[in-house]
This record gives sequence, C-alpha cells and structure tokens, in this order.
Amino acid sequence: MFFLVALVYVSATTTLSATGYESQRLEQQRDELRRQNALLEVEVARLDSPTRIVAEAKRLGLVHPAQVTVVSPESLSIKR
Amino acid sequence: MEPVTHRRLRVLFALFAVATVVLSLRTAYWQTLGRDQLLAQATVQIRSDLVLAANRGVIRDRTGAILATTVPLRSLYAIPARMPDHAAAATALAPLLGMTVADIRERLDSGAEWLYLRRRLAEPAADAVAALALPGLGFELEPKRLYPNDAIGAHVLGFVDDEGVGRSGIEGRYDDVLSGRSGSLVVERDPANRTLAVGLRSAIPPRDGSDLTLTLDLAVQAAAERELALALQKEKATGGSVVVLDPRDGAVIALASAPSFDPGHVGAAASQSLRDHATGLVYEPGSTMKAITIAAAIDQHVVTPTTTYNDVGYAVVGGRVLHNALGKSYGTTTVTQILERSANAGAAFVAGKLGADQLHRYLEAFGFGAPTGIDLVGEAGGEVRALAEWYPVDVGTVAFGQGISVTPLQLASAYAAIANGGTLYRPYVVASRRDADGEHRTAPVAVRRVISEDTAASLRRMLLSTVDNGIAKNASITGFSVAGKTGTAEIAGSDGKYIDDQYVSSFAGFAPAEDPRFVAVIVLERPQSRLLGTLTAMAAFRGMALDALRYARVQPDRAR
Repeated sequence: MFFLVALVYVSATTTLSATGYESQRLEQQRDELRRQNALLEVEVARLDSPTRIVAEAKRLGLVHPAQVTVVSPESLSIKR
Repeated sequence: MEPVTHRRLRVLFALFAVATVVLSLRTAYWQTLGRDQLLAQATVQIRSDLVLAANRGVIRDRTGAILATTVPLRSLYAIPARMPDHAAAATALAPLLGMTVADIRERLDSGAEWLYLRRRLAEPAADAVAALALPGLGFELEPKRLYPNDAIGAHVLGFVDDEGVGRSGIEGRYDDVLSGRSGSLVVERDPANRTLAVGLRSAIPPRDGSDLTLTLDLAVQAAAERELALALQKEKATGGSVVVLDPRDGAVIALASAPSFDPGHVGAAASQSLRDHATGLVYEPGSTMKAITIAAAIDQHVVTPTTTYNDVGYAVVGGRVLHNALGKSYGTTTVTQILERSANAGAAFVAGKLGADQLHRYLEAFGFGAPTGIDLVGEAGGEVRALAEWYPVDVGTVAFGQGISVTPLQLASAYAAIANGGTLYRPYVVASRRDADGEHRTAPVAVRRVISEDTAASLRRMLLSTVDNGIAKNASITGFSVAGKTGTAEIAGSDGKYIDDQYVSSFAGFAPAEDPRFVAVIVLERPQSRLLGTLTAMAAFRGMALDALRYARVQPDRAR
C-alpha cells in the first residue's frame, strides 16, 4: 500500500514537472512570436512611411500631378 | 588465515555506532536548529529574482500610423573563457557585427569574464551570428526604441537615452506616462535554469506604459519636412521651421524644424540639430505682425478695412522716421492695402490710432511674450517688453514686427485665432492616451477670446486680398482661397544692433480662407536671397498646403 501511494505521488510530481517545463517552452514560444509580430508591425510602418513611398515613386518615374480635378456632387446631379 | 577476534569486531562495531550517532545528531541538527540556515543557502542557489520590465507605450499619429514603438532586440554577449579560439571567432564575427577583427580580439582578450560584444543587433545580423553556433556566445533580449519613419517628426517625438528614459519632445514630456511601472517575478530554478513547476512562485505583473495618439498627421508632417528641406537647400538657409495647426481647436498637424536628426541614432546627431526651432526659435517676426496690429485696431473700431491715409513713404513716430521697405511711397492707401503692400508707414499709422496701451494689451492677448503651453518640453516664450519700458518709437516699430520677438508656434497660434473667428487655443500634440482603463481624450483648451468674430472675418478677407492682389501672390493655390502675409525681419546681433544683410523670411497663412482647415507658418533663417526669401517661404507653403488639402479631402472653394 505504502509503495503504491509513493508510486502515485512520484508519478504525479513527475507529470507536473514535465507539464511545467512544457508550459515554459510554450511561454517562450509565445513571447518570441509576439516579438516577431512587433518587428513585422515596425516593418509595415517602415514600408508605409511617406518618405519611402515618395522615394519609391520617384524611382518608378512617377511625378506629382500638375492638376487635380475635383468633381463636385452638385454638378453631377444637374447633368442627370 | 588468522580468524577475526571478537575484540576487533567490537571495535569496528563501536566505530560504526559512533559514526551513526554523529551523523544522526548532525542530521537532526540540520533538520531542526540549522534548518533555516540550510534553507537559506538552498534558496540562494535555486531562487531567481527577476525584474519584469514594462513595455514602453507606442506613439501613433492621428491615423494610427506607428511613429515610435519598443521591440526587444538581441544583444550578443561573450564568455571568453568558454571560447576555444578567439582569433577564429573574431574573424567570423567581424563582418556580421560591423566591427574590426582587432576590436573584437581586444575585447575577448581583455580578461573580462562576461561582456557584451554588440547590443541590440538588427535581426538579420543576430540570425547570422546564431547560425555560426560558436561556443561561449549567447543572446540577451534588450528593449530598443524604434522610429519606423526615421527622422520624420523627430523634434515632436524626441528620443530616449540608452536606459530608455525619454529626453525631449513627447518622449521627454510624457516619459512617466509612456514608461509604465516594472513588475517582479520570484521563482525557483533547476540547474538548467528552467523554472520549477513545483516550488516558490511570486509575481507582481508589470504595468505597461500608455499608448499615445498624436494630433500629428504623418502625411502632412512629411510634406512639411519635404518643403522645408527644399527651401533650405534652395536658400542655403542656416535653419528653418514649419508649424501647421488646426485653427478649430489648436491641434498640431505638423511641426518641422531644421536642422534635424534621426531619433533612432541620436548619438550621431550634431547638438544644434536637437534644438526645436518651431517652438524654441525666438525671432523678430517682421511684417507678419501687421495683421495682428490691424486686427487690434479694427477690433477697437479705430480703423476699418477701408480707412485711408496718405502714404508718403515713411512715418514719424516718437521723433524717429520709419520708412517703407525699399523707400516706396503709395499715396492714398486703405488699411487693406497696408497688408497688400506691406507698408511699414501704414502699420505705424494704424498703431498710432490704436495707441501703445491697446497695442500692448492685444499683443499679450494674442499670446505673445509667454509660452503657449504646448505639451512639449523646451518651449520659448518670446519677448514683449513691459509697456513701461517702451520708447515712443516702439509703438511704430512693434506694429510691423520689430522690437518684439516671437516663436513660430506663437505666430501660428495667433493667426489661428484670426482664422477660427477670434478664439486663441492652446496648441496641443497628444490627442489621446490609452491605458488599461481605456482611452482618455485631450480636451482642447480655449484660452480666451482675443477679437470679435466680425474683426476676425474682416482680417480673413484682408489677408485673402493680400494673397489675391498683394505681396503674397505666390502663395495662391489654384482652386482654393488662401489668406496670408509675408514677413522679412532683420536679425539683431549680440550688441543689440541689426546684422547687415541677414534676415529671417517667413510666411503665415491659412486655407481655405473662409473656412480654414489649417494655419501654417514657414520660417527660413538667413536665406541666401535675403529680401526675396519670402518667395521661397511662400513656395514651401504652397507645396505643403496642396498636400494637406488633398489628404484632408477638402473641396476646392474656387473655380479654376
């Protein structure tokens, strides 16, 4: 009986320790994924930066429009 | 073989008995009287006290674009005693770390037991070092403040030092809000440094810093910095600034200052580039001040936009002769034309009607002579000398912006009062703060009513006419009504005299003139073209305004 109780206790403790180590591993994995996600957010912000977009547009030969035509909704409704 | 005698067995037994008793007593001692001491020693070996660093808050612009954020980056450390071949390791690491082989060797051979080789490595470099799998090297994560837009908005954002403490701009002003509060974690660890699942675990969670959303618009900020850089390049000016405000509540849409710096690499920045000229430059505003003088006079009903005087090219005030620029005389001139022609004699005429007392009172009411109270560090207050210190001539010179000093932000704030119908707002940069309790929005602060709505409307029309028919024609934008005024001011030297042929050129304006969506002040310091520097300032205004109006989807208010 004594040995049975001891066996159950040791088994439970071992399982608990193993689960604890697995939990730690998963926590580290979660932290690393969060870090990678934060780095990706920074990269997105970097790619969205107006300075980079303007430089890229220039590289592609794009220029600012000489004139921007704005059509007012009033003139559209009159024509209908 | 000689048989073992009973005597020898008894001695052996006695020795074992004594040893058993001694060990039992010793064990009993450690289990009872010495328990605490043993426990303390064991605890020191397995217990680990960690500081849980709080995450510094993210700073975003009004559209949610990230302006500053903190990410843990890998710092490379070395334990030289565990590295079998220092020379080979240095050769392999040098190109990845951007260091010389000799420098790495010197560090590894310094005798230190543990040292950083390179802190906060970029991810590709850290990956490459990890791939080498060199013995005796390891990584530690350290937080790094990143600014994805490089130098854009540098003076508004400020920067953090190596310890992560904010030192200027928003980072400095809101450091306590952004930094949060560290927590702690006490755990027991096994020899492999893993946390024991069964054992002591006590944690105080960190409280992360609040996220801030600014009033800044990244697109307009980029446009302002682009136009300022172009203007400075063209004029070879020593410095400059752009302030863009929303006149409806004082929100800062853009705040640019040159020379500038990259907040992510502040160690490489020249010290003078850290100074924010938009809030910290104190200069004589020149003719942009005429609009303020005339606003005060109209508000006091001593003149109207159509009141006339005979312009002979100069005015005599306090026994001193004050000339128009370039010695021009205009004959019969209306108050509106004073702005259109930027006539100094006209401004002196209006100020004479108003009187020194009232002019001084309105200058203070418009916010000159005291910091605006913007939520940034290092704001200057400018100078409006006490009325008792004014010489008789001062009422004439101050009327056209000499003998008074202002900051670009103060001037923009005063023009915003004209644009919005007469109310002076306190400029602000932080629109809202988000923490665990939710979002806390900043309430705009109306400081005081400065002029009546009728006076403000008159000034808007007069400043519109200044752009349409007068000296500020170059600021006009096809499809939009623009109101504004140029300013050219001399620079006073340390001896109190004006420096020959050196000027500060500026333009203050807003658009659309009848329903202004933004007010902008452009200042160029010591432009190469001297008196013509205002042309470049107006060109910078146009370039920035076009982008600002498009991004804000403002409908054109004029036929093309």
